[in-house]
Amino acid sequence: MFFNFLLFELKLRLKSVSTYVFFLLTALLPFFAVSTQGFGPIGSGKILLNSPFAVLLIITFVMFYGSILLAAIFGPAILRDFNQDTYQLIFTKPISKYSYLGGRWAGSMITAIFVFSGIVFGTALGTMMPWTDKLRLAPNDFGMYFRAFFSMGVVEIFFLGTLFFCVAALTRNIVVVYLQGVALVALYFIEAIAVITSNKLDRTWASICDPMGLIMNQSLTRYWTVAEKNTLLPHWTGVFLYNRLLWMGVGALALIAAFVFFPMSAEVLGSRRSTKHAKAARAEEEAQGKPRSRFGVELPRVTQIFGAMTTWKQLLSLTRLRFFNIVRELPFWAIAMLMLLFALIGGHFAGNNNGVEVWPVTYLMVSIVSGNAGLFLIIIGALYAGEVIWRERDVRFEQIHDSLPLRDWADFVSKFLALAMVETLLVSVIWVCGLISQITQGYFRFEMVHYAKELYLVFLPQMLTIVLLALFLQTLLGNKFIGHAVVIGFFILIPTLYSWGFENRLYMFGEITPYTYSDMNGYGHFVMALFWSISYWLFVGCLLGVFAVMFARRGTEQSFAARLKTARPRVARLIPAAAAFSLLAAICGAVFYYNTHILNEFRTAKQSRHRAAAYEQLYKKYERLPQPKITAVDVAVDIYPERRSFSATGSYRLVNHTDKPIDEVHITDTQESLQDVAFDRGSKQTLGDKVHFYSIYKLDQPLRPNETMKMNFHVGHTSRGFKDGNERPEFAYNGTFFDRDYFPFIGYNQRIELDDPVRRREEKLPALEEMAPPGDPYYSNINLFTSDSEWVTFHALVSTSADQIAIAPGDLKRSWTENGRRYFDYSMGDTRINNFFSFLSGSFSEKSDQWKNVKLDIYYQPGHEFNLDKMMDASKTGLEYYQKNFSDYQFDEFRVLEFPRYRRFAQSFPGTVPFSEDIGFIERLKKPDDIDLLYFVTAHELAHQWWGHQLIGSATQGSNMMAESLAEYSALKVMEKKYGEDMTRKFLRYELDGYLRGRAGESRHEPPLVLVQREPYVWYQKGSMTMFALADYIGEDKVNLALRNFLEKNRYAQGPFPDTRGFVAALREQTPPELQYVVTDMFESIVLYDNRAVSATYIETPDKKYKVTLKVASLKKKADGSGNETPMTIHDLIDVGVFSGSKEHLKRLNLHKEWISQENSTFEFVVDEQPTFAGIDPYNKLIDRNPGDNLTSVEKQ
Amino acid sequence: MLSIRNLSKTYSGGVRALRDVSLDIAPGMFGLLGPNGAGKSTFMKILATLLDPDTGTATLDGLDLIADKDATRRLLGYLPQEFGVYPKMSAVDMLNHLAVMKGITKRGERKEIVEGLLHQTNLWEVRKKALGGYSGGMKQRFGIAQALLANPKLIIVDEPTAGLDPAERNRFLNLLSSIGRNVVVILSTHIVEDVLELCSRMAIMSSGQLILEGAPAQAVDCVKGKVWSKVVSTDTERDTVEKSFHVISAHMVAGLNELRIYSETAPGDGFAQAEADLEDVYFFNLTRHQRN
Repeated sequence: MFFNFLLFELKLRLKSVSTYVFFLLTALLPFFAVSTQGFGPIGSGKILLNSPFAVLLIITFVMFYGSILLAAIFGPAILRDFNQDTYQLIFTKPISKYSYLGGRWAGSMITAIFVFSGIVFGTALGTMMPWTDKLRLAPNDFGMYFRAFFSMGVVEIFFLGTLFFCVAALTRNIVVVYLQGVALVALYFIEAIAVITSNKLDRTWASICDPMGLIMNQSLTRYWTVAEKNTLLPHWTGVFLYNRLLWMGVGALALIAAFVFFPMSAEVLGSRRSTKHAKAARAEEEAQGKPRSRFGVELPRVTQIFGAMTTWKQLLSLTRLRFFNIVRELPFWAIAMLMLLFALIGGHFAGNNNGVEVWPVTYLMVSIVSGNAGLFLIIIGALYAGEVIWRERDVRFEQIHDSLPLRDWADFVSKFLALAMVETLLVSVIWVCGLISQITQGYFRFEMVHYAKELYLVFLPQMLTIVLLALFLQTLLGNKFIGHAVVIGFFILIPTLYSWGFENRLYMFGEITPYTYSDMNGYGHFVMALFWSISYWLFVGCLLGVFAVMFARRGTEQSFAARLKTARPRVARLIPAAAAFSLLAAICGAVFYYNTHILNEFRTAKQSRHRAAAYEQLYKKYERLPQPKITAVDVAVDIYPERRSFSATGSYRLVNHTDKPIDEVHITDTQESLQDVAFDRGSKQTLGDKVHFYSIYKLDQPLRPNETMKMNFHVGHTSRGFKDGNERPEFAYNGTFFDRDYFPFIGYNQRIELDDPVRRREEKLPALEEMAPPGDPYYSNINLFTSDSEWVTFHALVSTSADQIAIAPGDLKRSWTENGRRYFDYSMGDTRINNFFSFLSGSFSEKSDQWKNVKLDIYYQPGHEFNLDKMMDASKTGLEYYQKNFSDYQFDEFRVLEFPRYRRFAQSFPGTVPFSEDIGFIERLKKPDDIDLLYFVTAHELAHQWWGHQLIGSATQGSNMMAESLAEYSALKVMEKKYGEDMTRKFLRYELDGYLRGRAGESRHEPPLVLVQREPYVWYQKGSMTMFALADYIGEDKVNLALRNFLEKNRYAQGPFPDTRGFVAALREQTPPELQYVVTDMFESIVLYDNRAVSATYIETPDKKYKVTLKVASLKKKADGSGNETPMTIHDLIDVGVFSGSKEHLKRLNLHKEWISQENSTFEFVVDEQPTFAGIDPYNKLIDRNPGDNLTSVEKQ
Repeated sequence: MLSIRNLSKTYSGGVRALRDVSLDIAPGMFGLLGPNGAGKSTFMKILATLLDPDTGTATLDGLDLIADKDATRRLLGYLPQEFGVYPKMSAVDMLNHLAVMKGITKRGERKEIVEGLLHQTNLWEVRKKALGGYSGGMKQRFGIAQALLANPKLIIVDEPTAGLDPAERNRFLNLLSSIGRNVVVILSTHIVEDVLELCSRMAIMSSGQLILEGAPAQAVDCVKGKVWSKVVSTDTERDTVEKSFHVISAHMVAGLNELRIYSETAPGDGFAQAEADLEDVYFFNLTRHQRN
């Protein structure tokens, strides 16, 4: 009996097309993810696209999006009988519940496993495609594929599918089944968002409770190195095991529930239906009364009026009808509620900007609520486009509807209007969500106009364009589901096209130019681009609408030939409308094309990369060509903010510090801004490669050794119209900020080289050249930051429009207004600076203060007053600390300048720090122990005035740590002065996390700290941890002394420049012999610890004290650049300690360092208070891949 | 006067649904009889502007029904054979909407006709209920109500009595006949009684062709005295009769098989002369047409 049902079920599924369609669907994502780089969740780098890690991630993704397929497979298994009313036939027969439910369930289970095995099939097929990058593939390991598929896929099919099966069996209502699916996904999203945004480091419980495995796998593998990701699957132990067991348990319970509670009788099952029928019948009888015959019935006479007014009324009536048809549907409400939920969740976290709490300003709020709700608006638009187009046919009302005296266009327009009303309504709901979220977070600066602009003028038109497309497709295609499939295909196609390098928004349907709103610059220069691209696609959409009217179904014939015939008489009438929309679209398209292709050069990302690659191929041969160095910069810069342009003239003083005459000067025009160059002697341009930004000038008289020469130049940038994305972020109506890259670079500029290994392969470039090792004879004489310069003197005369202030490094000598423009004269006087400068212009407010003889200024956007005092405080505390411990501050001023959020960073120029409006200026500390990133960043950038502007290393491996790691360390110490040790520790815990994740994503190889090349996670996160740990071992004063000595020796070095050999030596000088290993391990190697608190117990001593016995385990490993580890013998001094209080707020009872020389050690402590926790390296000063197990609770013995 | 000339329609699948149908229909009730698949619905869909014929014309008092669809739709009342409703809408809302669609834009008039029709079709009590909850009969009555909105000049009702119980059927036929005095009403049915009771003129269709057209009474006159019946009790007996005579129909009468045959002369041998009725006309024409 069971087998009869099972076989029946399987036969049915085997015959059903949907089974194979689902199979292909699940194969699709893995196929593209493996065959096409950049398509799937694995980015570029060394992780193989079919590695265990990648396969697991793909499976998790497919299972997540495929959960709706599970509903579609398991739901109908039971519901089929009820939809087709066969239940009466089945349940009146003597069959057992076990075989009926069991057969159906097992059949669905087998079907689902088959469907999802498409993942393995897709993966394997993806590896065989001719365009696949074989370097990023491992041989197909089907054993691994199936193990991964079993542990993630099959387990999830079991529990989620059974859950669907259970709900279907118990409610017998398909809508409830789908709603359950939607609700599960929604709940899951909420959990995921909450976990990810709460930024908690401990994710044990979140991982165990994670039904889909996204959070679990992410937290299990987040510290895995490339080598591990390419070889390992998570084992069925620990969190992974508990998670799988938990969810299999849920599945088993659901199965039991279905078996126990399913009523196996036709009567019970049918009861709901029959009462419904009975009720209807009764109502009918009541309504009918006694039939009486009537003679000579006269219906009232009516007048029929047809004309424009009637058409209008018909349109209104139809629109109203269609609108209510949509909003009265349960699925609509379900999707709308989900949208509301997502918008509110998003809104709640709008103030969380990548883990940093900021004020939920309107631009953040509106973008997150509309972003979160957008998907649902698209779903509703596409789904109900199908519904309105097919409604009459679905409810079989089409014959009556189609024979109404109604214009063809009015019918279509009413469909569009109904959807437009729905979308407008939902957009208004989004607005309210935004306002509610701002209120609940205590932000009351409501910018209604901005909301209205973003939501109704930018967001809504895009939704309407999609609606028009969906209406068009649904009209043209012969079936609603094909229509939906094509619409979904369209949404997959667009990002796929992008990832294949198609970027032109003239043909990427519905895509508008990317834009950024900034408080400083508003919509600024994006207004025109938005206006024309939104209008363009809206009119194209309208044109599609006209075609939809032409081909709309009317009447009972469905064949395409018949529809062409019906379309023919409409064409003539629709030509004016089609012509009008074509013309409008053409005008908008032409304006767009003129701006993006004629006024501006249209360059795709690929073309830009290609140029950079060609630059390298053509001119790298000149890299070591002897060139003069810049020693003085004098420029006159005119900024025209209202035109987003500037023009500058200037001169360099060049000196030949080589021992041979130089007869050629090479210039790289990094930002394509160079107009002309002249020297103080005759010269001839022998190469002018505008495409690859390179030119060569032959000097009539060579520049002799030690001779100086003047080079005059004219540079500028003129913004014309608008571009299709890639607008230069440097130029804005308010908030201009450009730097040295707009001025000629002498020689070959290595920083133009592509560094992504995949992109380099694409361009047939060899692997990126490794930096030279410390001590390299050539590069020791090259300045790390500005290879074409020595220390320079700097003078700049800057002008801008009358309502703005222009700022450059240097003392402001004079400022005046002339010819309606403001002029500012900045000079560094005799102070030599790193040849690294910037120009800013904006309508700033200014806050000033003084520290000793240093003038402090913050130039900021009015309205961004939130944190000015803290910035000032960080500047003062920093100046105090750095001057006391390192050396004197070299300038008379320190300025912080706000610039638009088109770029997100803060950067240290001599005496000036441009700071993005997005980071810091709107920061908001919610809890007293929140990390004050603004304070830290300000102190960090200030510290660069020492580490980067006084000390510059040579262009060799490791040198950048002497800028970045030291700035991190300095800023941490300043933060500690302000907020105390707990805050620093918390900060370092995030640094550890960041370092471990950074090395997990390494695409080349990880270097030790003092050999770092281009790895920010090493010079920032590992650097700060390492410096801090060293200070903990040998003392802050010793570290500072080492730094002071090293700085004193190398300050303003002219070349050879210092490198990390000298730096390490300076540290070793202050380090006692027994701790020299710390410097070796932390600075010169990659050493990882695995410290673990095994157990801790206490007994109360007779004198009311507590004797604690702590057992710990310690392992020490050395890793190579790819993450392969080898064990090391341990003889290390490590913290051990006992604490009271909670895990979040530990109170130290006894903490000291112990020498640990074997894997397992036991320590005894006597403390005065009752202990709660004890452990080894409890503050995670050492790099430990399982930082969570260093503490354990102390139990009573 | 509705005049139809040489109407033909072949579906894309090759089915010849109408073959050269010509017909004149004066105001009043016109019955269209025929078995399933005879082409009745195709014929009516063409008149209701839902289908274009391959050839032929249809004009109503000079109005070209096939070319001028919009004008046709303005004076049309159409009840399709099968139709559904928007399940969430109420009858009164829906009729109001359809009244607007039919150009009844004066609010007062619209209210009057909608309420009048709701009363006439006995839906007044349930007018605010969602149509999705209607029984088959109620839905059919709603269909009738919508077809009669806007005093149509041309009413096309395709199998209107299907699904109605006898009382409802009477009511509907009453309503239709009193409205249909001055306008063209075409009623298709395969129930002979409907035609007999209501229609002054009728036609019989089979395989896309008109096989008889006239007044029901005249049609009956043609077979009067030529219909004979015989009770048979075995298959052999039946076969013998079928071989020798033109059998019109077979009925069960009180558990016995009665065969009715057409014969110009008395067939003798156990046959009794039967009272000819419209059904005999119908079956006689059908069977004769099929024989040819």
